[in-house]
Amino acid sequence: MTILKVENLHKNYGSIQALKGVTFSVPPGSVFGILGPNGSGKTTLLGIIMDILKASSGSFQLFDETPGPHHRRQIGTLLETPNFYHYLSGEKNLRIAASIKGKGENDIARVLELVDLTKRKNSKFSSYSLGMKQRLAVASTLLGNPQVLVFDEPTNGLDPVGIADTRELIKKLNREGKTIIMASHLLDEVEKVCTHAAILQKGVLLTHGHVDEILINEDIVELNAENKEQLNLLMADYPESISVKQNGIYLEVIFRSGEASLAKINEYCFSRGVILNHLRLRRKSLETKFFELTSNNN
Amino acid sequence: MNHLRTEWLKIKNYKAFWIFLGLYLVSIVAINYIAFEIYQQTVKQEPMAASLINDPYAFPNVWQTVGYMGSWLLYFPGIIIILLTSNEFVFKTHRQNIIDGWSRKTFVHTKLLLVIMLSIVTTIISTLTAFIFGMASGDPFSSDGMVNIFYILLQSLSYISLALLLAVLFRRSGVALIVFFLYGLIFESIIYGLINRYIHNQAGYFLPLQGSDVLIPMPFGNKIIYSHAPEPATLIISSLIYLGLYYFFLMRKFENDDL
Repeated sequence: MTILKVENLHKNYGSIQALKGVTFSVPPGSVFGILGPNGSGKTTLLGIIMDILKASSGSFQLFDETPGPHHRRQIGTLLETPNFYHYLSGEKNLRIAASIKGKGENDIARVLELVDLTKRKNSKFSSYSLGMKQRLAVASTLLGNPQVLVFDEPTNGLDPVGIADTRELIKKLNREGKTIIMASHLLDEVEKVCTHAAILQKGVLLTHGHVDEILINEDIVELNAENKEQLNLLMADYPESISVKQNGIYLEVIFRSGEASLAKINEYCFSRGVILNHLRLRRKSLETKFFELTSNNN
Repeated sequence: MNHLRTEWLKIKNYKAFWIFLGLYLVSIVAINYIAFEIYQQTVKQEPMAASLINDPYAFPNVWQTVGYMGSWLLYFPGIIIILLTSNEFVFKTHRQNIIDGWSRKTFVHTKLLLVIMLSIVTTIISTLTAFIFGMASGDPFSSDGMVNIFYILLQSLSYISLALLLAVLFRRSGVALIVFFLYGLIFESIIYGLINRYIHNQAGYFLPLQGSDVLIPMPFGNKIIYSHAPEPATLIISSLIYLGLYYFFLMRKFENDDL
């Protein structure tokens, strides 16, 4: 079963094309990150899936079926901003959400505790801080323990502790077997939390798939030695390396993911008379990859 | 029923709603009490007046009088429905309701249920008010003219549904309220006058609020003011057609637009 299948989705706002033929699918049990800068179409995409926006063309399926309100009741969704009745308390707001979902009324105390809002459950929503509003919205998504969750920028407005807590919560939910679809413009958020990702830019889906496949496919080894010229010549001949380039004071040697061995490189240089004074392996950062992908598209 | 329960949860603890509703219902009684007292005082001071004007608060006139007086207050439940609906747009809870699992249709239907309930409450309070003032005026009870109770219901539905439509079309309470008041109090009368004078002497009666307004005219002098008014059945059909149109446009707007 596929949780969500999006096919050739287009959305136009007048002459502006917010989505240009987006196609992908979300496998069950994944943490699926929709990554893209502000204005790339992430919220538009999720808005269409939640039926608050109408697609210009294309289609999507939820749980392999034509989507309807009963599918949305099975999904806990936080879209864009926390939307609650300002004049009601946090708890009373959750009661309304549970009433619409048709489940979760007995679950309110649990979810409030989970996001640490039990003490403030009787305060009006309008008196909440931005972070508390966001946490209440997360609590609302958890009502009735849905198997699928959709989070749009879930760490928006949270302090560093709140951000760490939310990420932990997402990982924990995933460990429980839940599928999570998460939109974010924060690259490291996706890198830290997601198993799968789709990268959107200006409404175009640049790539999608398993995070390891699409985001981390190269190892970079940084080297330095007294004799830079000799080091350069040596590494140019190193088997398995893809390319060599000088980056600042370090020489960078690129390998395919998982193929760089620091011990071998050290031995190789030493046996040829070059003594390294710097040797470090780093994964190609998501940010670099992201900029690469998006700059190709410009 | 569950949808209505959800709507109840939204308004149960909304103080502004209850204060406004309470004031409105008290106003129905109060405005009639004022008119009742004025008539009583006038008759006391000028006994001749009683022979010129039939007691508007005696049966069977009272059903029409209370309906007519209350019609000026129908802007208040209109304001209530505009505030409740535009609140949803301001808080974006109309989106959240859909996200959480209501269909767009359910959202509109639930608001329409609220319109119907406000109309029924208006009708019940008006009926009780008419009964009490009728009894107070001393004449024996008469059920003649009780058809006005149905007209009150129809008029309430017309006003409050139009308010709901305006709230959904304009989303912001300020704009919806201004259009509602300006149209209901000023522009419809102007258009009515112009159409009747220059196009056809009955055409103006078929404007959105005019049909139900004319069904409950001023308790005296209506033959002069509405001299060419169509039959009540025609006006009822006209009002029902407008209710159907409001429903059609509400659904079309809310079902097809981005929310």
